Amino acid sequence: MEQKIVDHLFRHHYGKMVAILTRYFGLAHIETIEDAVQDSFIKATLQWRKQIPEYPEAWLTKVAKNRTIDLLRSIKAEKNRNEENLDSGFSEEINELFLDHEIEDSQLRMIFVACHPKLKPNEQISFALKTISGFSTKEIAAALLSKEDTITKRLRRARQSIVKNKLQFEFPAPNEVKERLVSVMHVIYLTFNEGFHSTNTKQLIREDLCGEALRLCKLLLKKEKLRTGSLYALFALLCFHASRLKTKTNISNEIVDIREQDRSKWFLPLIQMGHSAMNKAMEFDEVSIYHYEAAIAAEHIKAKTFENTNWSNILKLYQNLQQLQPNNLNLLNIASVKLQLNKLEAALKILKSLDEVDLGQRAYLYFGCYAEYYEQSGEIMLAISNLEKAIAKTTNGLEITYLQKKMEKLQDSSKS
Amino acid sequence: MKDFMMIFIGADYQELGLSPEELQNRMGKWFAWGQKMETQGILKGGEALTPNIKRVIGQDRAVSDGPFADSKEIIGGYYTVSAESAEAVVEIAQDYPDYDLGGTVEIREIMVFDN
Repeated sequence: MEQKIVDHLFRHHYGKMVAILTRYFGLAHIETIEDAVQDSFIKATLQWRKQIPEYPEAWLTKVAKNRTIDLLRSIKAEKNRNEENLDSGFSEEINELFLDHEIEDSQLRMIFVACHPKLKPNEQISFALKTISGFSTKEIAAALLSKEDTITKRLRRARQSIVKNKLQFEFPAPNEVKERLVSVMHVIYLTFNEGFHSTNTKQLIREDLCGEALRLCKLLLKKEKLRTGSLYALFALLCFHASRLKTKTNISNEIVDIREQDRSKWFLPLIQMGHSAMNKAMEFDEVSIYHYEAAIAAEHIKAKTFENTNWSNILKLYQNLQQLQPNNLNLLNIASVKLQLNKLEAALKILKSLDEVDLGQRAYLYFGCYAEYYEQSGEIMLAISNLEKAIAKTTNGLEITYLQKKMEKLQDSSKS
Repeated sequence: MKDFMMIFIGADYQELGLSPEELQNRMGKWFAWGQKMETQGILKGGEALTPNIKRVIGQDRAVSDGPFADSKEIIGGYYTVSAESAEAVVEIAQDYPDYDLGGTVEIREIMVFDN
């Protein structure tokens, strides 16, 4: 018999069950709930060794319902319910919660709780990955390039602030939804970026993070009252980027530059989904950074070859983005687009206005851009020395290999 | 053919805090292994054991709920299989999924009594 369990069933089911149970019992019990749900998976793991049930998800749901009843018995005193209730109205009430749209509703509430302003940004993303996406502390640590200890602490602090501030498992008040949605989108965006950009982590984790970000975004879009232009634009951005995910590294797990990526392998269904989300985004009267970032990603996707890239369009989009939300990374991107447009002087002017410290962990990109400038100006030695600086500024093994290869190429060309 | 017991020691999932994703992966491996033995017709039986332990000890039959030795030594379950020799069971035990979690498989031949 074939293994007939869908990928990530446990992980997704975890998020669902925790959300449903939290809706019933309240956020104050979240730790007990997470433990209980975890238990039900261990039980499944042992029991299913011999025989996988015909409907695995239904089986898990049934176990979760039973856990709910067990939990209810132990929490009952606090909830002030009596046995009578437990037998009659209770099971109907519970069954309601297990209906598909109610499950989605509970998950959405959880997303908004995770992004509550009482939680610090780094707690928000860890808490979301744990509670909504069912990642373990170890997996979160690997995904966010942190220590397991750090994550454990963040999760503890997140739970403490939830309890201390008596957060409710509710949607934000109508006048707060918009603002909260901004941080929800930011958390999704960061989750995706961790997967898409952090080449240090394993391919599998990267794909999982991107997949989770997409899934959550989709979940939000299902709810009509949450649909905004920015949310559609964010979804489009994630789709466009995700379509290239598999071509970003080769089989030996080396970085493949967008110049050399096999464009025929960019995943068409995601690109199409991105385009239709982008069209939806345009129906709304708003502009966000996600609109511009998605439009930039779309320009790259549109180009049949790297040489065909419409750099003047991309430049305009980056400039708009810079106006909307000025930051140094944008400026650096503008400089490197100017290099593509052969505007060497203009690029240099921007580079000179920047300082490596302004870019923090991305300082290697700054030196990389300088190297590109010198290479184009024919000053190979200076290009090489800037690549050396770039290498010194990154700890990421894959980036180092990538930069070293680039440097060797330059060294070879300077000899011949 | 003789009967053997493969006893699984250590690698307690609960204690290790495995993620749902890892649990699903491991479950898949256990299932595949079980199926393989089933098709070969060598699997006789087996059970998984909960980590809740009670021991009745000594002359005065003292009852203890533990804690006992650390979890690395707790038996999590067993399979009985039939095979030519203990060496053949060692071969079968190659597919046990939890070596990377510090798990151990102990192989014991089941004693046969002459009538």
